[in-house]
Amino acid sequence: MNELTTGQVAPPEKPQPRITVCAEPYWRHAKDNKLVLPYCSECEASFYYPRLWCPSCFNQDISWKQLSGKGKVYSFSVIYQSPLPSYQADLPYVLAIIELDEGPRMMANILNCDVDTVSVNMAVEVLFEERGDMKIPQFQPL
Amino acid sequence: MTTSSPVAIAAVSEMKPGRYPDMDGYDLYLEVIRQFLAEWSLVPSDIQGLLACPSGMASGGSNDIFVHEQLYEELGIKPLFADTMNAGGSTYGLMVQRAALAIQQGKVDSVLCVGAGKFPKVSTGGAESMARMVSHEIYEFPYGTFIPALYAQVATRHMYEYGTTVEQLAEVCVSSREWALLNPDASTYGGEALTVEKVRQSRPIASPFNLYDCSIPLEGGAAFLICNEDFAKRINSQPAYVLGMGEFHNHRNIHQAASLTDIGCSHSAQQAYAMAGLSPGDIDFAEIYDAFSINPLVFMEELGLCPVGKGGEFFQSGAARPGGDFPVNTFGGLLSFGHTGDASGMSMIVEGIRQIMGIAGERQLDKANAGIVHSYGGMMSEHSTLILGRST
Repeated sequence: MNELTTGQVAPPEKPQPRITVCAEPYWRHAKDNKLVLPYCSECEASFYYPRLWCPSCFNQDISWKQLSGKGKVYSFSVIYQSPLPSYQADLPYVLAIIELDEGPRMMANILNCDVDTVSVNMAVEVLFEERGDMKIPQFQPL
Repeated sequence: MTTSSPVAIAAVSEMKPGRYPDMDGYDLYLEVIRQFLAEWSLVPSDIQGLLACPSGMASGGSNDIFVHEQLYEELGIKPLFADTMNAGGSTYGLMVQRAALAIQQGKVDSVLCVGAGKFPKVSTGGAESMARMVSHEIYEFPYGTFIPALYAQVATRHMYEYGTTVEQLAEVCVSSREWALLNPDASTYGGEALTVEKVRQSRPIASPFNLYDCSIPLEGGAAFLICNEDFAKRINSQPAYVLGMGEFHNHRNIHQAASLTDIGCSHSAQQAYAMAGLSPGDIDFAEIYDAFSINPLVFMEELGLCPVGKGGEFFQSGAARPGGDFPVNTFGGLLSFGHTGDASGMSMIVEGIRQIMGIAGERQLDKANAGIVHSYGGMMSEHSTLILGRST
């Protein structure tokens, strides 16, 4: 926690992801509220997370494709006790694995809902949460 | 091992898990080895190889990535085979596998495998550093990951696919505690039995897990000596033969696992059964890495020891408990014996060895001719399966 000169304690900031070279388009488009994933022309499929090559065929000719941003909850947990100072105010919160309609799965929180209403297979859609000067993909009930 | 010369574990020792505030990871290593040498009458020439694992990963404290160098010097030996290796909870299962290959190749007659671990209390900030360590730095950790919540993904999915209930998860904890109450070395020995109600009434951590669905973070360590058959029999008239072994490395980050209910264990298990020439029906008991209550339930299915989707019913039936048809985690499991951080992957192997040797005290099984030991590292990421037996 940062001690301000006034003596007040600033709320801790949530982790801000490190931007790697191969993922630059992912984060740049996220800032415009677009979920864009790497796409392999050989496999004709999007994959997550961004890599320097396609994990199915090693093709390094990767393009980028915008996804619908819609998906389903593959699994989840409601967290009642977290060691992370920056997440204390959110307790209880949902950590989930989302299966996008286009296939890839990603981890995210499910926001803007009563945690007790979350279930496997629930339809969700992407939204973007500000983290410092970035935005990160999150999901909410559709 | 039908095509290779027999390999067996001749000597074994484990510290009682506890809190050792005056010892750092290296001190624990020395204490583990001191106890091991005190229990078994060995001389320096009995140890020709050495495998160790960093002891401070879980606590973020020590950075002993070359610990084997210090340990062989301290022991006073000049090994022909030595390394510091780390595959999380599967480290020690993979040590058996690496050592067995070196012994079968004739590189060495014996290898000492040793581990020690510190484990921070969850409240000390250690849980944050551990969450950072076992989840993807960029694509998972920023979402507020927490180890119980990562394992919980597997539990929630199993409940969805097969109708497994939280009460069935609690039965795993109840069974483990019954065994721990028979094991003087278990951290909960002398304590109270658990009930499904007590597990369900303990405080919620990360659904579907409550406090008693989680293992007990402690500190400790263990050591065993794996040898060729002649060497082993000179030390111990009933060594634990390594009949089969298999490994499989499935994913690193839990969201990348193609399936949460077929998570890689079946692949290492199939290799182990094939090498041993045995099938699940030939196995008398199982020792399974159980950081959380869901683990033994899923792995019983993947090991082929109960039908897929029926792990919950298996534990509910009481079969895994003392006196049951198929004993599981007879030492009390990490759930009730204690989870010794970096050394936790030792405890189920140690128990498998002891049951086969027939030295498990009050909890010794009447029938322990062949046992299966499954351990994994990461978020059920990489897998080691061993089949141990009384004869080749």
